[in-house]
Amino acid sequence: MKVWTSEHVFNHPWETIAQAAWRKYPNPMNPAVWGTDVLDRCVDPTDGALVTHRIISSRWGLPSWASPILGDPSACYASEVSRVNPRERVFRLETQNLTFGSHIAVDERLVYLPHPDDPENKTILRQEAVVTVRGVPVTNFMESFLTNTISSNAGKGRAAMEWVINQVIKGLSSMDDLSAQNRTSLEYDAV
Amino acid sequence: MESVGAECTELKREYDACFISWFSDKFLKGDKDDSVCAPLLEVYKKCVQNALKEKNINVDEVNIRVLGTDDENRIPPGKSSP
Repeated sequence: MKVWTSEHVFNHPWETIAQAAWRKYPNPMNPAVWGTDVLDRCVDPTDGALVTHRIISSRWGLPSWASPILGDPSACYASEVSRVNPRERVFRLETQNLTFGSHIAVDERLVYLPHPDDPENKTILRQEAVVTVRGVPVTNFMESFLTNTISSNAGKGRAAMEWVINQVIKGLSSMDDLSAQNRTSLEYDAV
Repeated sequence: MESVGAECTELKREYDACFISWFSDKFLKGDKDDSVCAPLLEVYKKCVQNALKEKNINVDEVNIRVLGTDDENRIPPGKSSP
């Protein structure tokens, strides 16, 4: 049961996005995220996709009075599983919170694909979030609150990606072809 | 960026540097051999597992998993293209 969906276009080839995704943190738009760790990673021999399982660590962002009740304010964790297939040019991620997971579960899914209208130069990001409270899908009252929060954070996530992409581009003095189909250029449109 | 275990942060940074370079220069260009960074990953992973145990973090608590099931290939419906 979807609470929220969104679509966004990046004016960069899929390969640039795929690299930026691994360098997303730290960034000024998501200051709460302080840690990312790889739990496992391997190339799936059946399709050549890179499969990664990570744990994302962040701060609560709650007022200090909440700490004695909820515990360590720096201890908010999420589990992220992803598959990157460079041949098919698909990058999927699924993240779910670990902390408080038995009370409220936010399951977020992202997929980065070459944009169907301009697969050489543009990438489309489709996101959706499903929220369940104590195993029951969220409806009505909670939905608008969560939708606004998820939407606001997703906006920051996209802005974060744009920021990271610019950092990646600035850091490159020369680039080889990333793939047979795509030549990246240092002359990008301003984002 | 740090590691969930402070003692693993240096190992994490070494591994991440290796991975970023491999991902861009090899993997995206079709080279699937991931042995280059494997030794760094092994040491780093072990450190993280220990840190998770110490902090009592259980990553297996997550129930919903789409990747690896039939649902994986479902692409969320798109709105009209811009």
